[in-house]
Amino acid sequence: MRAVHLLLLLLPGIGVLLATFGLPLFWAVLGAFGLGADGAGFTLTPLTDIFAEPKYRKGLMMSLYYAIAPTTLTLFVAIPLALMLQKSFIGRKLLNGLYKLPLAVPAIVAAFMVLTLFEQGGFIDRLLMLGGWNIGKIVRDPLGIGVILATLWKDVPFMTLIIAGAFGAIPSDTVHAARSLGATRLRAFWAVQLPLAMPGITAATLLCFVKSLGNFAAPSLLGPAYPLPLSILMYDSYRDGDWMAIYAMGTVLILAAFVVLAAYYMLTAAAFGTGKAASSR
Amino acid sequence: MKQVGSSRSRGLLLSLAALVCVLLMLGLPFGIIALWSVSDGWFPPSLLPDGFTARHWLMFLNDPSLRSAVVNSLVITFVVTLATMIIAMPTAWALARYSFPLKKVVEVFVLAPLIVPGIVVAVGLGRVFLKLDLAYTMLGVIIIQVAGVLPMTIRILASGFEAIPSDLIAAARTLGANRIAVVRHILVPLSIPAMLAAGLLSFIGSFEEFERTFIVGAPIVHTLTTRLYINLSGAGLVVPVASVVCLILLLPVFLVFMLTSRIMRDDVMAAGMGKL
Repeated sequence: MRAVHLLLLLLPGIGVLLATFGLPLFWAVLGAFGLGADGAGFTLTPLTDIFAEPKYRKGLMMSLYYAIAPTTLTLFVAIPLALMLQKSFIGRKLLNGLYKLPLAVPAIVAAFMVLTLFEQGGFIDRLLMLGGWNIGKIVRDPLGIGVILATLWKDVPFMTLIIAGAFGAIPSDTVHAARSLGATRLRAFWAVQLPLAMPGITAATLLCFVKSLGNFAAPSLLGPAYPLPLSILMYDSYRDGDWMAIYAMGTVLILAAFVVLAAYYMLTAAAFGTGKAASSR
Repeated sequence: MKQVGSSRSRGLLLSLAALVCVLLMLGLPFGIIALWSVSDGWFPPSLLPDGFTARHWLMFLNDPSLRSAVVNSLVITFVVTLATMIIAMPTAWALARYSFPLKKVVEVFVLAPLIVPGIVVAVGLGRVFLKLDLAYTMLGVIIIQVAGVLPMTIRILASGFEAIPSDLIAAARTLGANRIAVVRHILVPLSIPAMLAAGLLSFIGSFEEFERTFIVGAPIVHTLTTRLYINLSGAGLVVPVASVVCLILLLPVFLVFMLTSRIMRDDVMAAGMGKL
């Protein structure tokens, strides 16, 4: 009776996820090996092609770059901001309400904002012109600075929200205790606050990383025309109906995500000894 | 004493600097877009538009394809939010209040979509939809969006349901409250913060969604975000028109955000996302 009850409760959510996530993913990974409905028998060629052909290889590098660079930069902004929000100061309420606004702003709008501000002839360029400077190429530049700016603008509030929640959940007594036992403010942060907040920081970092790994709008509007990240190549192949290429790229993208996640856990485990606690929670 | 005073004034300066930074980061881009939407010619190097006009807004009101994008966006967002909540609630309840074999596996499965890049799932599901004739339909867009926001919704609801103390329910039951009374006076009031957070998140997630909608819906079913992308990626980018679409896109999201941020608790949203 209880088991039937439980199954009925689980069915809607898990069933929908099985049909809309599990099935297509299974199909895609099978397809990457030439199996399934779109394939013509087992083969490794599509997968090896990704690493052999410069277009795909550079695309993979670009995808990783668009994911790792903004996520790392965001961490350096979000952690201080989250720490600051723990203190009480004049204007804290206003700051706490305002910083979250970009969470609700679509990524394309953020990309458009970068266009109007930073493109040559954009507002910032015009401001710099007054001083006789030139902004240079920030939009569609080889380094993808425009893409990183747009991603950063969206990710900082997201990360700050989660990390501030993690810092807020630490009992203030623990930090006070460390301080009264002679720890400097920096040491209290490094040895007490940071390790205790690590599960939250980890979650925020991983969510941002994975989100950016599949980012489509910002790179296609603000990024350089070559190399294109895998997300855009996948979309192009989708419109062409080139299923083998899509499945191979998708599988490689998932593998890349797992490799980076594993590396991240190993790094944080080495640094704080909390990686295990973070992953098991 | 002197040291305390200086550190306090330094703190004040720092918080002031942070406020100015945030205001600049938000105010500048929004302001420029607002100016563009009413500009009548704005060429470099002038810092302000050469003239003002309501032309672009009027054009928007008279453009049937943009109007249908607004209607599509609102309908899809509304249906997706409602459907997601209905689907997520029982599953979240089971994950929060039941213990069963393989629970860990189920939990990891709910989390899995969050660590697989969305575009991979979107393209895979798009392929299935092509076979089922769901591609380029409203229903297809709704299903793919529900799939996108469901994992986070389940997470937030489950962590909210988990926080309801069992003692309270047991106490109410021993004091003679029946099931309905427990639901009405304990479960519903205590779940409201988590339900608000989850609902808000699926609303925003659906309204700002672009990649999945673009893959499954475009070019037949357009929402505001896919329309904006077409405007921006095309050869003839008309900045004032794109600005109008941007502002329309921001309006309902801000409205909901302002309304709920008064009653929303940050910790509820952070709790749902802050564990992986």
